[in-house]
Amino acid sequence: MSAASPGGTSRFLPRTLGARVLLILATGLLLAHALSFALLFYERAVATRSMMLTNLEQDIPLSVALLERLRPQERTEWLPRLERRTYRYLLRSARPGSPLSTERSRQVAGLIDEALQHRYGLRPRAVSTSPERYEVELTLADGQPLTIEVTPSLLPIARWLPWMLVAQIVLLLACAGLAVRLATRPLARLAEAAEQLDPARAGEPLPQHGSAEVAKAARALNALQQRVSAHVAERTQILAAISHDLQTPMTRMRLRLEAMAESPTRARLLDDIDHMSQLVREGVNFARSANVATGPAVRLDLASFLDSIVGDYEDMGKPVRRIDGDSAAVTTHPQVLRRVVQNLVDNALAYAGSAEVASRIDEGGVCIDVLDRGPGIPEDQREAVLQPFRRLEPSRGRSSGGTGLGLAIAQQLTQALAGRLQLSNREGGGLRVTVVLSETPAPTR
Amino acid sequence: MTSHADHILVVDDDREIRQMVGDYLGKNGLRVSLAADGREMRAMLDTSDIDLIVLDVMMPGEDGLTLCRNLRAGRHRAVPVIMLTARDDATDRIIGLEMGADDYVIKPFSSRELLARITAVIRRARMLPPNLQVSEAARLIGFGQWKLDTTARHLLDESGTAYPLSGAEFRLLRVFVDHPQRVLSRDQLLNLTQGRDAELFDRSIDLLVSRLRQRLGDGAREQTYIKTVRSEGYVFSQPVVLIGDDA
Repeated sequence: MSAASPGGTSRFLPRTLGARVLLILATGLLLAHALSFALLFYERAVATRSMMLTNLEQDIPLSVALLERLRPQERTEWLPRLERRTYRYLLRSARPGSPLSTERSRQVAGLIDEALQHRYGLRPRAVSTSPERYEVELTLADGQPLTIEVTPSLLPIARWLPWMLVAQIVLLLACAGLAVRLATRPLARLAEAAEQLDPARAGEPLPQHGSAEVAKAARALNALQQRVSAHVAERTQILAAISHDLQTPMTRMRLRLEAMAESPTRARLLDDIDHMSQLVREGVNFARSANVATGPAVRLDLASFLDSIVGDYEDMGKPVRRIDGDSAAVTTHPQVLRRVVQNLVDNALAYAGSAEVASRIDEGGVCIDVLDRGPGIPEDQREAVLQPFRRLEPSRGRSSGGTGLGLAIAQQLTQALAGRLQLSNREGGGLRVTVVLSETPAPTR
Repeated sequence: MTSHADHILVVDDDREIRQMVGDYLGKNGLRVSLAADGREMRAMLDTSDIDLIVLDVMMPGEDGLTLCRNLRAGRHRAVPVIMLTARDDATDRIIGLEMGADDYVIKPFSSRELLARITAVIRRARMLPPNLQVSEAARLIGFGQWKLDTTARHLLDESGTAYPLSGAEFRLLRVFVDHPQRVLSRDQLLNLTQGRDAELFDRSIDLLVSRLRQRLGDGAREQTYIKTVRSEGYVFSQPVVLIGDDA
């Protein structure tokens, strides 16, 4: 027993809303059902007893009077006709037994005595406790003993009744289950849909049908989605506009500097302009990566695709190597995927000086690995480097020329392709960045 | 070897950029004219002999892409164009090249880079024998069992699967399919294939041809697509069909 359960709710409650509601409904239904059956049985017992007592009251004096009138040899024939459900007459002495123990049996004996107007000396005794049975012996006028054997019992229950009860409970539980499902399913669907919402693109709005509450929630979510994507679009536009407007003054600055006589200051200023323009460019790329214009997806031969990228780097004299691996045809957006791989290779070149590109197919899907032998990224900082404008200082500092956006852009673009980016340490040192493309291609529209 | 008196027309709406670029190019032995917009550009083209146009993409009114497309449809369609683009974005580059630009420079550019591009493009244009016309901008070019998508720069096999090409491979293949059944010397290929960033050397053409053969599934022995002509160069031996824009 360490800490309280999370969320403050009881540990005994199940976790899902549906299960909770079902539990409450089922408990309530079962209790109510049990209660009404108890009531029914109680009523029935009371009714049976009062019926029996009434019968006794009217029936016994008549039967006893009849037996008195009959000749002793005729009495045996009549006995079956006088027999009732809970008692019968026997022409013998009572069997040995104990004195009456229960309140009810004493009441019945008293009632019989009263009905017979106390004219007979009654000798009641209990002969059996289960089933409860007692005998009341009296002596007829001619000296023959007569025993009234009483076996109090409820009216027997029909055999189908318990089954009926079970059927009823099952029916009720099924209805409750259905109702809960009906109530919670849209909620689950809504949550699922909300998870799929991508603020960067307009995407498909949630269906706004179903019960009034669900439709309302879907409408609200759609409106939220629209506001968010409008916001994102605006952000992108601002970034694009800023960069657009910066190009001209930066070009002017550059040309002007280049016209100046060579000096260390001029060289440093040119470096600064280079860095500025890189930042501006990356900023725009990042803003746009959240909202890539994809166009139709293409079935792509992965090996040729990676070969072509590595070929471009080789032709530029960059130390990028292709490692043979599995090939596959993937349906994707080559322009976007190319930018992802290029960003990862550029990142590796910036921080490690060289890069290797490989592909493989495993259970997670089609994977592209970009590997380097650089310093790697400590585990606790892997999340951080995927955030925009985040650099690991000091080893991944500005001196290495990065803007801090390469991995963030790659991450966003990969997500736009419905893929994942994984960072891991390479065996033997260095970083491994894996682009996991889901086997099922990204939706075309 | 600087070409003497090559006449460059710089079209940019920004006066200062226009002038500074003009000054630099002038200092480097080129003849330079300046134009602030499409109207001035057309006037210049009509009155003087222009060897190359440096064209800014972002201009108020008629933008560079529109001007370039109109230029390619008109009388001066043969004049090479270098675009000044703002964004390092594959889509923009492709659109620029689709509209008929020969090369592009990303702003903010260095004047030295621009000069290098200008020299390369002019040299390339000179390199083409006059009877070799650049194929019209068809999006798909078919040959053998392949189709070349000139926009996306990949090969398509019969099932429609794309096999991307590296920049150099694409340029080389483009030169071949633009000049089928014609022997091209290593020198010609080298110059026509010269890319933006790559410096190719004489021997690397052979390497590049073997890489391209590999892409095409063409063996050095079969030579179904690219045949080696001893001591002369290479020839693209398959008939080429322009498929057009239907894809």
